[in-house]
Amino acid sequence: MANPIIQRELISVLRQRRTVVVQCVLAVCFVLLIAIRWPTEPRVALSGVRSQEVFRLFAYGLLATVLLLLPVAPATSIVRERTRGTLALLLNTPLASWQIYCGKFLATIGLAGQLLILSLPAAAACYALGGIYPGDILATYVILVLTVFLITSCSLLVSTYSVSSDSAVRWSYGLILTISVLTVLPHYLLLGTGGLTGTIISWMRSLSPISAMMSLHGAADLGSAGLATTENIVLRFSVITSIGLIVTSLWTIRRLDFGLIDAARDTGMIVDDQSLGVRSLRRAFFIIDPKRRSGYIGRFTNPVMVKEFRCRKFGRLHWLLRLVAVCGIISLALTILTTTQTVSWDVASVGGIMVVLQVALIVLITPSLAAGLIATERETGGWVLLQSTPMSVWQVVWGKILSVVLTLGLILLATLPGYMVMVVIDPGQWFQVRRVMICLLMTALFVMLCSAAVGSFFRKTISATTTAYAVVLSVCAAPLLIWLGRGAPFGHGTVEKALLINPIAAGFSVIRVPGFAEYNLVPANWWILGVGSILFLLLLAWQTHRVSRPQ
Amino acid sequence: MSSTRNSSTTSNPVVVIRHLTKKFGDFTALDDLNLTLNAGQILGLIGPNGAGKTTAIKVLVGLSRPTSGTATIAGVDCVTESKRIKHLVGYMPDKFGSYDNMRVREYLDFFGAAFQIPKKERIRRIDEVMEMTGVSYMRDRYVDALSHGMAQKVGIARILLHNPEMLILDEPANGLDPQARIEMRELLLSLARMGKTLLVTSHILPELSRICDQVAILTNGKLRAHGTVKEISQQVTQQRTIEVQLTTGEYVSAAAKILTEVLPLGEITESTAEAIVRFRTDRAEEALVQILKKLTDASIPVAQFRELQTDLEEAFMSFARPQKEAEGAPSMTRTEA
Repeated sequence: MANPIIQRELISVLRQRRTVVVQCVLAVCFVLLIAIRWPTEPRVALSGVRSQEVFRLFAYGLLATVLLLLPVAPATSIVRERTRGTLALLLNTPLASWQIYCGKFLATIGLAGQLLILSLPAAAACYALGGIYPGDILATYVILVLTVFLITSCSLLVSTYSVSSDSAVRWSYGLILTISVLTVLPHYLLLGTGGLTGTIISWMRSLSPISAMMSLHGAADLGSAGLATTENIVLRFSVITSIGLIVTSLWTIRRLDFGLIDAARDTGMIVDDQSLGVRSLRRAFFIIDPKRRSGYIGRFTNPVMVKEFRCRKFGRLHWLLRLVAVCGIISLALTILTTTQTVSWDVASVGGIMVVLQVALIVLITPSLAAGLIATERETGGWVLLQSTPMSVWQVVWGKILSVVLTLGLILLATLPGYMVMVVIDPGQWFQVRRVMICLLMTALFVMLCSAAVGSFFRKTISATTTAYAVVLSVCAAPLLIWLGRGAPFGHGTVEKALLINPIAAGFSVIRVPGFAEYNLVPANWWILGVGSILFLLLLAWQTHRVSRPQ
Repeated sequence: MSSTRNSSTTSNPVVVIRHLTKKFGDFTALDDLNLTLNAGQILGLIGPNGAGKTTAIKVLVGLSRPTSGTATIAGVDCVTESKRIKHLVGYMPDKFGSYDNMRVREYLDFFGAAFQIPKKERIRRIDEVMEMTGVSYMRDRYVDALSHGMAQKVGIARILLHNPEMLILDEPANGLDPQARIEMRELLLSLARMGKTLLVTSHILPELSRICDQVAILTNGKLRAHGTVKEISQQVTQQRTIEVQLTTGEYVSAAAKILTEVLPLGEITESTAEAIVRFRTDRAEEALVQILKKLTDASIPVAQFRELQTDLEEAFMSFARPQKEAEGAPSMTRTEA
């Protein structure tokens, strides 16, 4: 192998026992996916509808797997080199920046490639079922390959800007979510808008691989509200992705030099020592200046909670204020829009969008806050220091959980004004809003305890965060995949059962979002999430006790 | 240095370890360890990697439960009263344990609050320990941006916050530059002068020999030697190190060959660049005279033939060597320095 980075990052990974296990699990999953939906009736559907249904589900499943599993490897690829100090060694070799980039890019592509290759027998089985053209299979794989390219190049770029592996993973998932789902939102909100805005929105939607896949496999695509589209989304997606790939690759290659590691230590500027002018300016900008000299920890405050707020970016007050302000503005803006455009939007649609935004915030932020509660301390050596203080381990964990609860609470509270305005517009919504708030609270609780419990089993923050994201996103995304196959191949009962564990779907069904209104998910969903939360809490307690007891 | 501290050193034992054994499955990390350390003394705990130093420390700070035996600090049992032990002991592990985005003052404030020091007293205490350790000027720096030497000082400031009777420091001088090592040494001595009892592990043995009242050598979980540096050095003087300085490096190999014939089991080290051959032996003076005669008879131009003073490093090596050999490391009877 000419490029040593490929040798190290691909070949060595492929030789690991863990990789073999993952390959076997994936192969079994693909086989099961097909086998479960394989027709068992003695009759043959000549139209090929059945095989198309199976293939559609298979394609969505494969896309979801790529979107959920792939970002981790490229996102941590460069930032890990930097934090370990091996980036300096790499840049000191005769390898050019583009060679380093190609090595990392191709290594990730190789890993994704084996995933796609593993899926080929299942795709062939769908083809053997009849009713599917080779062109459909080819187009499906083209979309998947382009998605892999896009995710890899974007995540590598994020990696060059990140200071830690977990922040790289967080931002990469955020970016992928934005590209895949949020780009479709304007199209959904402003459906039917013409002119330049309409063109921009239409092209924006074409950035989403989900949109492209749905366009290929269904009559309607994501955000089209059931309307057939005349635009060639797949072609547009291919064009945009190719351009995106070139731009992000060149950008990343440009950043791959000594500038990445040539940073002076932060001198720790304190604004209290600056002139009145500087202080006033910064005060106006930040409201609460992050560089001010903070106060001492109060007598009745849990010191671990204060420490958590101080040592994470989103814990600093100026960031929390920004986040809360953005949430508040978006939710209010959406609600006000309802009053001006009631013709195209009803309250349920706006409520649905708000639920999506809130759940997206919860799902994106919570694992990164909660997964590393114990893992980060163990990785940095802080766990031993905390154990050598008179604080009990329960005080420590409680302080940490409290810091997550308060952050999430602030974010959820920030969106309340939007709901309040909605209730003022339509007082009949009060019942639904109350139920939605319960759904969101249950979601936040479940995601937090799930992330904390899963993360506590790891020694490294990156492993804890990644696994927590994978578990949470699976719980949120997998039932939605089944929902996509509602009517065919899945019946109403199957979809409802699958959605029962999904926190997003419960919120949607309560607010009567089209497509979810026909499912009766609460209070069963609350019970399931509640019991799940208690189980995760017990798991967290057990693991905390295990890692804190004297060896 | 020791004489200036003798006033604060008392015969009152602070640390008492009796028959301490710790097993992990079949592996014995600590094997019947017995140690006593008086108030105001500095004990240097040395041993090769995996000797059991950190295990012993972890038992003392209540992070590990021994299989058998007891350990007390100021009369408090390290196993059954681990909460009280935390107030008595300041523990600095070999890993600093930094937090992102946290300034030195905030870091100390956090640990002060974790030790339940009231706010008013904490504010005063933070200033005191920063002054004591010389980190006042970096109070607003971020802990994750500190150099290693600075971080070690902040680490010591941290363990002084709750004013413990005893300080346990795991490899405090590890990775420090010479200047920082001197500062660290001065700091530890000043703490001992204040009446603190210190247990220090280090691989930089000259550092320990300069500051420690007592040294304990651990290998394979067993205590091989315990006493002052002088006492331990005397224990190993049966094995003397003789240095033969030649006028030119070209005779080094020839000299080493003769020595190998005379001392087939002796450890011989040669350095052509320095024109020196060293060997270790337990032979008496008469035998050494014979060896010198053999060298001169073979026309080896000997400039000096002298015995090297046994220091802590030598002592450590003499105890650590049998362990290495037991582990299967090649027994180097003749090495190139």
